[in-house]
Formats: sequence, structure tokens, C-alpha cells
Amino acid sequence: MTALGVTSTAGPSSQVADYVISVRGVRKHFPIKEGVLQRVTGHVRAVDDVSFDVPRGKTVGLVGESGCGKSTLGRVISGLTDATEGGVYFRLSHAAKDRLDELLAIPEAERSAAEGRELAEIDRAHRIDALGKDRWREYRRNCQVVFQDAFASLNPRHLVKDIIGRPLRIHHEASGTQLTERIVDLLESVGLGSQHLYRFPHQFSGGQRQRISIARAVALDPEFIVLDEPTSALDVSVQAQILNLLHDLQEQRGLTYLFISHDLNVVEHMSDRIIVMYLGQIAETGPSEQIFAAARHPYTEALLEANPAVEGGARAVTRLKGSVPDPARPPQGCRFHTRCPVVTSQCGWEVDDAVTEAELRDSGLDGLSGVSRQSAFSADLTFETEAQAAAFVAQLQAQETPEPLAAALTELRQTGTDVSVRFQPVVPVRLERVGPDQLSACLLHTGQQPAAEAVAR
Amino acid sequence: MGLIIIVALVGMALLAPVLTVPNTPDPAQMPRDWGALNEPPGTPGHPLGTTTSGGDVLYGLIWGARTSLKLSVIVVSITVIIGTIIGSLAGFLGGRIDTVLMRIVDVFLSIPELIFALAIAAVLGPSLRNIILAIAAVFWVKYARLIRGQIIHVKQNEYVDAARVIGDSRLRIYLKDILPNSMTPLVVQATLDMGHVVLIGATLSFIGLAEAGLAEWGVLVSEGQTGISAGRWWVSLFAGGMIFLWSLAFNLVGDAMRDVLDPRMEGR
Repeated sequence: MTALGVTSTAGPSSQVADYVISVRGVRKHFPIKEGVLQRVTGHVRAVDDVSFDVPRGKTVGLVGESGCGKSTLGRVISGLTDATEGGVYFRLSHAAKDRLDELLAIPEAERSAAEGRELAEIDRAHRIDALGKDRWREYRRNCQVVFQDAFASLNPRHLVKDIIGRPLRIHHEASGTQLTERIVDLLESVGLGSQHLYRFPHQFSGGQRQRISIARAVALDPEFIVLDEPTSALDVSVQAQILNLLHDLQEQRGLTYLFISHDLNVVEHMSDRIIVMYLGQIAETGPSEQIFAAARHPYTEALLEANPAVEGGARAVTRLKGSVPDPARPPQGCRFHTRCPVVTSQCGWEVDDAVTEAELRDSGLDGLSGVSRQSAFSADLTFETEAQAAAFVAQLQAQETPEPLAAALTELRQTGTDVSVRFQPVVPVRLERVGPDQLSACLLHTGQQPAAEAVAR
Repeated sequence: MGLIIIVALVGMALLAPVLTVPNTPDPAQMPRDWGALNEPPGTPGHPLGTTTSGGDVLYGLIWGARTSLKLSVIVVSITVIIGTIIGSLAGFLGGRIDTVLMRIVDVFLSIPELIFALAIAAVLGPSLRNIILAIAAVFWVKYARLIRGQIIHVKQNEYVDAARVIGDSRLRIYLKDILPNSMTPLVVQATLDMGHVVLIGATLSFIGLAEAGLAEWGVLVSEGQTGISAGRWWVSLFAGGMIFLWSLAFNLVGDAMRDVLDPRMEGR
């Protein structure tokens, strides 16, 4: 046990571990079950192919609207939920990370036996869902979580002493008077004291409860802490205190943070790097200053502009249209195209968009009786009468239809009661380099060729 | 109010050997005074009268309280333990185990509890022990369901995730976090059932499923019923009143506990 403890803090393995966490191609899909038989009718793609690294000693901020999958991703990284696909790697060196990326870039079918063995080797040593018992235990010690709701995350029947002492006792770190001393030290390090030992969580204020959570999280001296919206349930004045506490603890203990939040102000204050998520995917990522100074994705821009505290916030707020699309059926091309203020005809317009557009108008979809869909970009709609079919076509050809949508239509033809709708197929937009160390998934800034010669799926 | 009655009844049950002097080899059997049949209340030596077979009603009431206490404590303990084990397995492990166990519970629940208990007791033969077994066999399902629901609810709490994050084992998370936070409604239900069990036990012994001559309220009511038309009201009335008081008291206390515990149970 102690031998492991030594390697975890000063051993050779930690000296070369430049990245505490590396996320590679992680997907988390939740099945949607329907009916008496609970048949799976679809999947909510909460996290859909996300990759990034968390360098040692840094804070990575993960931002996005509620429902974008950031908390699910946090749960996958902390090992509370298994990923559907992809992996979370712990303690990779620069070299190991580069080698892993090389190996993962080779499609599975083309991997040689040696390459497969090498990958399995890396998995066993670093991938959190493939670790052996001892290594998993080490990961468990070194990856902690501070939850959003401090009240819900503290057992109401346990005393503060037992809550903070529990990780120490489980990992046989201390017992007896030594345990109490450690607990008091921890309480003092988060601004509480020995007078709080024998109290229950409900006897504290929200800010104090979050301090207790933080004390529990740092009790085992972890390397890495997932902060899942740690301040969003708190008053603004208390928020600042908790953020300062987290900042101080990071400096004293050399902690690495993944800071999940929907609040850009908080993230800017805390983070070295920022990842912006939208509908389960990364929209943009880069160093904090760069994201705030020169965002290269319209979604990031919209988030920044909607944020009153950002300097120059007097700019007219480009309000985002509509609501977040259904993550069970994410939009094609760029997932943000349905709400994007600078959308082009290349961004992934599809049949669903045409139908949604017609639905917004009066009687645009009246009499729709059947849809035969060849792909997301091609479908034949059947109406009850010819007049209703003609009305649908007219709606899409009207002035109100957004120009990019109209331009993306390659075919809109009525034959009797049928209307065939075709769009140019596009491939999903990729995350590409747009500046030093900055990646964005937007056609405008990356010059990707979206139109797929080979049909998109 | 309910608590006062409970203290009085339970006190009476515990002090039965002091309050009345048993003169039979088995004190739970009614002593018979063949020289004083059908005496009305107020008869010297028999302050509450006697039954058709010369049983002293006061003795029956006092020792009946002891029988009732024994019956309810044993049945409730057995059912709480079995229900907690089954409900925990179903709720905590989930999946196929849950499905199988809950279908068994559904089968039990689809049969009216009194009829089911009656059938079991009749098959096992007339004795208090069999009444206990019969009621326990019927009552555990309620607890299994209750605990399962609680556990499924409680295990979604964030403090359970928090315990997983610090690396605690599933068994310890169950024992320290999930079970203690699931018990409140069980305590309420157990209190209510202390009364309910006695009512059902009395019903079973009334129709003759206890040993004949047992000092038990249901038996007393049964012995007294033949005399009611002849104006001998006291046997059934006093024994029935005791059953009523016992059930009422535990229901009052159970309801009060529900009111006190429920809002706190939610924890916010």
C-alpha cells in the first residue's frame, strides 16, 4: 500500500506523466426505451466523440449550456459512468500520448498484431476502465469530484468528522487520534475548524457545505479533481470565496482541475484552457485568453456576447434562435447550424430542417401523411391532397425561408401529392486548428470541404 | 394519547404475572373456575365476570395483552428482517434479480392478506405459532416492496456517488449510505403493523385457529359470542375493546411518526 503511495507522489511514473487525463474519442449514449417491452428505440448522444488533454497542474474549463453533455463527460472521466466508446487515460507522458494518438489513428482493421499489443499495453497501464485492481485503486485516490449540490453530496446522517475522515479510513491512511488531527488539518485548510467536527451537514450554510465537500475531495491528496459546477448553487458573494479557496488549494497542493461550468465568468477566472461543448461535441477549444479575445466559433461568440460581464458586453446581443436540438437526433454537418447566426448553405442543412421550417408557419405541414426517408438529406413527403403538397413547397420557396437553407436545397419537386426534398450531403464538421493551440469546429474558420463526394454515412 | 395507551397496554403485558396469579401449569392458558360460569362483572373474585366455561375475563385481558405483544413483536421483527433482505437485494442489485423477486412479491400481493393468512394457518393447524408464521408469510412482501422503492430512490443521491468516488466498496456504501437513509418509512410501517398484526391475529384465533383456551382476545370474543344473545355482553365487549384500543394506539402513533419523520426524510 505504502509503496503505491510513494510512486503516486514522487515515483518515476509521475515525473513523466505530463498529462493527468487524456480523453480519446469518448462517447456516452443513453438508450431510449419505449413501450411495455422496453424496446430500445434510439439513443441520446450525451457525449459524442470527444477528445482532449488535461495537462498536469493546469485547470481546464469545460463550458456549455445545460444538456450539452459536460456533466456526463465529467462522470465518465471520474469513473462514475462507463463510456459507450472511447477511453479516458490517466498519467500519459508526452511521448506516450503521441504514440497513443498514432496508434488510435490507425483504423482497427488495419492495425498489425504488434500495434494491437502495444495499444493493449497502454490501455492496461493507463486507460481507467482497463486498469488492474491496484492501479484502479490508485486512480480512485487520485481522481476526486466536487459536486454541484454540496447538500446532496453529503450524507445527511453523517457527522463532518465521519464525512471527511471516510476517505482516509477507507484507504487506511490514518486512525484514532491521528485521524482526528488529519481531519482538523483538512478543515482548517478549507477555512473551517475543529469546532465543526461534530456537526451534521444541515447545520451549515451552502458555502460551508461546499467547503466540507472540498475538504473531503483533497483528503487523499489527489492529483486531479473534477469540479462539477462547484459554485453554481451558491450566492455570488460566496462563489468568489469558494473560487479563491480552490485556487489557493491548487497552488499549495499542485492540483489539476477539470472545471465544469455554464458560467463563462467563473471559467475565465479559473481556467488555463477552455473547452466549449455543444450537443455532446467540442465546438472550440484553446487557451483561456485566446478564447476570450478571439473566439473562432459562432457558438463561443454567442456565449460570450450573452455574458453581460464580459468587457464590451454593451454590444448588441445576438440572441440564439430556437432551443437546443434533440440530442437523440443531432443535426447533420455542424450541430450548431440550426441556431447559428452566420450559417451558410454548406453547414449541414437536411430534411428535418425543411420540415421544422415549414412547421413554423401556418398550415405549412397540414396533411402530411407519410415520410419515406432515404437519408438525412433526402426524403419523399406524402400529403393528403395536392393542394397541401403545393402549400408545403410554396412555404419553403417563400421569402421568409432562410437564404442558406433555400440555397442548400438541391431539389424540391412536387409530383401529385408527393414532394421530394433533397439536400447536398455533407460530412460532420471536424475540429481543426485555427490558431496556435486553438481548435474550432466551424467551416468559416477552417476551410474544410464539407460537401461529401462519398455520401455521408 | 396513542403513546399513553401503548405504554399502558405493554406495561400490562409485561407485568401480567404480577397483576394476576396464574394457577395453571401454562400461564398463557385461561384458568377455569368451574364453580363460576357466566358470572357478570362485579362478582367477587371475578371483577370483569367469567365466560361460559368459567374463564376469568380480567385474567384473559391481561394475559391476552401478553399474547398480543408476543405476536406483534415476533411477526414485525420477522417481516422487517425478511422484507429488508429481499427488498435490498432487489433494489440494490437491480436487473434480473429485481425482476424475479418483484414478480414473486406481486404474486403474494395479488392474494388478499387475510384470506392468505387464513389459508396458511388452516393448513398448518391451530396454534399461536402457526398464526405467527402465517401472518409473517403474508406481511413480508409489503416491506420488501417498501424497502426496494426506498433503496432505488436513495441510491440515486449524490452522496452515493461521492462515496464511490472516494473508493468505498459497494457493501459499505449500502450499509452506511443507502440503508440508513431508507429506513424511515419502514419504521412508520412497522409501527402501524404492530396494531394491524394483532387485529389479524385476533381474527384468526376468533375463527378457531389458535389453541383452544388460549388467553387471547380473539379467543375471548369467540367464547363470548354465544352468550351475547342471552344478554351476557361482558366477555366479547371487554375483549373486543382491548383489540380496538391496541390497534387504535399503534395507528395513532404510526400516523404521528409519519407526520414527524416524512418532511425530514427528504432532507431539505
